[in-house]
Amino acid sequence: MKAGKVLVGVILIALMIAGCAQQEPEEAITPEEAEPVEEVKEKIVIGVIGPMTISEGTAEKRAAMLAAEEINSEGGILGKEIEVVVGDTKLDPSTATSEFRRLATEKNAVMITGGFSSGVMNSMMDTMAETKTIFLADASSPGHPAKVAEDYETYKYWFRISQNNGTTFAWDLADMIDFFNNEQGMSIEKVYIIRDEHIWTDAVIADLTPLLEEKGVEIIKDEKVPRGYATYDVQLTEAQELGADIIMPILAIAGTGDVLAKQWAEFEVPILLAGHDLKPIDAEFYEDTNGAAEGEVFLADGGVLSTAPPTEKAAEFLETYREKYGFYPESHQAYGAYDAVYIYKMAVEAAAEAGEEDPFNPDVVVEYLEKYSPESPVELTRVIAWYDNHALVWGDDFVRNWISQWQDGEQCIIWPSNVATCDFKVPEQVSG
Amino acid sequence: MLDILIKIVVFGTIVSGIWALVASGFTLIFGVARILNFAHGSLFVLSAYVGITFVRLGFNPYVAFVLSLLVVGLFGVVIYRLFMAPIREHEVMVIIVSLSIALLMEQALLLSFGETGISFPSLVKGIVEIGGLPVPTKRIIALFIAIIALILLEYFINRTITGKKINAASQDMQMATLVGIEVERIFMLTMFISALLAALGGLLYSQIFAITPHVAVKSLIYAFAIVILGGLGSIRGSIIASFIVGYILMATIILLGARWSELIMLLTIIAILIVKPSGLFGVEE
Amino acid sequence: MKAVITVLVVLILSALALVLPEYLPEAFVYLIGLTFLFIILAVSWDVMVGYTGQVNLGHTVFVGVGAYTAALLQTPERLQGTVLEFISTNPPILLSIILGGLIAALIGFVIGFITLRLKGYYFALVTAVLPLVFIESVYIWSDVFGGEEGFSIGLGNALADTTTGKYYVAFAIMFISVVIMLLLVKSPLGLKFRALREDQELAEAAGIDTVRYKLIAFLISSFFAGIGGAAIVHYRITAGPDLYNIPLMLLIILSTVVGGLGTIYGSVIGGFFIYLAKNWWLREVIDRISKVYHVPINDEIILYAILIVIAIFLPEGVYHGIKKKIQK
Repeated sequence: MKAGKVLVGVILIALMIAGCAQQEPEEAITPEEAEPVEEVKEKIVIGVIGPMTISEGTAEKRAAMLAAEEINSEGGILGKEIEVVVGDTKLDPSTATSEFRRLATEKNAVMITGGFSSGVMNSMMDTMAETKTIFLADASSPGHPAKVAEDYETYKYWFRISQNNGTTFAWDLADMIDFFNNEQGMSIEKVYIIRDEHIWTDAVIADLTPLLEEKGVEIIKDEKVPRGYATYDVQLTEAQELGADIIMPILAIAGTGDVLAKQWAEFEVPILLAGHDLKPIDAEFYEDTNGAAEGEVFLADGGVLSTAPPTEKAAEFLETYREKYGFYPESHQAYGAYDAVYIYKMAVEAAAEAGEEDPFNPDVVVEYLEKYSPESPVELTRVIAWYDNHALVWGDDFVRNWISQWQDGEQCIIWPSNVATCDFKVPEQVSG
Repeated sequence: MLDILIKIVVFGTIVSGIWALVASGFTLIFGVARILNFAHGSLFVLSAYVGITFVRLGFNPYVAFVLSLLVVGLFGVVIYRLFMAPIREHEVMVIIVSLSIALLMEQALLLSFGETGISFPSLVKGIVEIGGLPVPTKRIIALFIAIIALILLEYFINRTITGKKINAASQDMQMATLVGIEVERIFMLTMFISALLAALGGLLYSQIFAITPHVAVKSLIYAFAIVILGGLGSIRGSIIASFIVGYILMATIILLGARWSELIMLLTIIAILIVKPSGLFGVEE
Repeated sequence: MKAVITVLVVLILSALALVLPEYLPEAFVYLIGLTFLFIILAVSWDVMVGYTGQVNLGHTVFVGVGAYTAALLQTPERLQGTVLEFISTNPPILLSIILGGLIAALIGFVIGFITLRLKGYYFALVTAVLPLVFIESVYIWSDVFGGEEGFSIGLGNALADTTTGKYYVAFAIMFISVVIMLLLVKSPLGLKFRALREDQELAEAAGIDTVRYKLIAFLISSFFAGIGGAAIVHYRITAGPDLYNIPLMLLIILSTVVGGLGTIYGSVIGGFFIYLAKNWWLREVIDRISKVYHVPINDEIILYAILIVIAIFLPEGVYHGIKKKIQK
């Protein structure tokens, strides 16, 4: 027994030494996977932080690395080569703050991108305030830009680049109803909502309800479902009984949008399934549900669908990503991370051009990032501009959650018309 | 009122059938070998992943189904042999070890397959109407399969010789050994059956719903509630309890709302454990 | 003699700990500070499990309760609209932490009172399920508890203004807590705990009120877990349901198992080792391994594997007592 413990102790110590020994140089992932960088070239470090065991994190990492590679091949930022370092939050606030701090203080990252999801983001914002690191982030909770608005000097280094504020989901959903009623000749008056048991949906509903009331649309049921909830048959049947015109999911955390779609198709529910559910955004959703997704309408978070890139740069990015990694971006956070690296470069270069002494100084960079306002946006893979609270500007010509639909096994955008790639098709089980 | 009742019964019964499979597997291995296998949920989940892998490799879904059952059954025995048999007497250590196995497998599956839900392809399609409610045929078939499996289980345990040996081993290990029953072999067989039941439940579940690595621990909670209510060690108890729990769950969802389903479930477990730990038909210590 | 050596070792290690910030980068100092707080969690669990043999698988309930208590005291606006809306001042941090411990102990008392009369693994089962109930409540009453996201208590409420400051405060809290717990288990009280672990029936026959002593141990255990949780919130500024969750529980178990159940020092060392492993050097090892072999592996997998291996090969020794207890 004693011997056994000693043995285990020795093994653990050996592992630790093995780990420590490699600690310094290997960690940073240089875009070329080459030998250690010589001291001659000056470096600039950009960090990616996120949950690296799921697609949101890996997509950000890959996209950032791709951007860095492209920029480096054209001379870097002000002649300095970008080195990308990665932190894994494991979706745990303690780990996330620790990692953020490590990237900021030990790796000296000048900019960090990522930050999925909202809970972890909260804790990292405080670390960011301490280290004063530019944080071009994702997640959608309105709480984050609210912090910037409330205490600008402390949190100003935070900008959200991946997607719109959670509140915009309400606007997009309301516009979606208008689209159906005014442009498609439908008469949606009763909405059955199925949403996450989570504060993010509370915010959406709070904004959505008055918008719908104005239009004379009634929310006949507001069902909150816990994580992993799977028995949607109850809700689907109830929706039919209550005479709902539309079943509107507002789901991201429950994680079972695929089950909802499956059961909707299985039960052949003659009601439109249209709302904001993260699952249908996945490119494999159709396959994952064995085709049940056909006809589901959803919002494309972050303003991009791999089948419908809104800008030229987006189309290019999609192809380069696929060439390098073998598949299209596994998550929409990729666009945010890619744009983050580019917009940082642009801000720094603009600062240098304007004669700033230290263009990399965070306070300076903040000023120049803020210049990308609604009046002067910049077009990257999406059209980026920021409000005063550093949330992404929402609008037809900026980023909004495009209304999309699964048709014939593929995703396409049905509205707004300036980006639409197909016409809305009433699902068979609804019309038939 | 009546239509609510019909809903509870119709929707509840089908889900309960699957849970009955999982719960009886869990209670079986406990009743016989006093092993609280927290990794049982992982076996439930694993079957769907194994099945899908076979399907993706080109196997016919029916064949994949059967193969998956066997693979997971064997896997269960292997886990038992390697990680539980050696420390069988230290019941709490078994909990800790099996819990670690469950979380380890969750991580491994996450890394290998990601978080997206897995659906085993539907082997049957179509809808029938029961009591005015639309019910997909495959759910009814799933229910039948579950019932048949459970009947076979009952028969096996109570009527066959091997089954009786299992019974004997569970009642009194020392006596069974004295009488010449190879207890260790019996345990391995029991584990195989237990894993088989979990696997069957998983394959059926993944057709009707979807499976992610996280379902392993979640499903364990439901299995727990059922097993405890029915009484640890009693298969009959598990089956009856499955339906009771299924109906309570459905009633909660229909009457109170989906958001309360988890909490009510957990509070039920705690209440039962405190009031009558041995459950309805529990095997006394 | 043994005592002298022990004190010497403790003094040397403490001195080392106190000068560490001079030589290490800030990020590491931050991490080690968190490790100190984690040690409190591991040691407090050991007090219950290692000394009385009652295996509480729901220790994280107390960590979380302590954490959320302290967090809510600092953000009383979240309590508006609930029965507690009369609370309106932000207490000083020290008070907040102690209150966290007290409320956790209170919950510990209620839970202990109800469950400690349950036998061996039933106790383990109930306590295993409890954290999940608390996590659910965080999601359901998310206006108050912040749901899955958790909430921030504001930079002004940190243990100290600088990372180094936080480090020292965390060290102090840990040191004091561990010393108190050490003194308690070495006292006549601790002797009774151990009697419980060795042979409960014998202890009862000898006239020891086993339920009373189990409860006392449970109170001590939950109090310090609450202190730990509250301190963690003041350290990293956010409260979140991860503090209730199973992975944290397994980390605690692994720490005490590696260090040696029933030895306070062991849990300190084990806790230090394992927490740093998870958050620091294990990642490096895995990076290297995964570059060479393409196996699905991450640090959690390795840690669980270690726990499994240790549990299988070394269930005796310190578990002798538990084993004997359960086989009743």
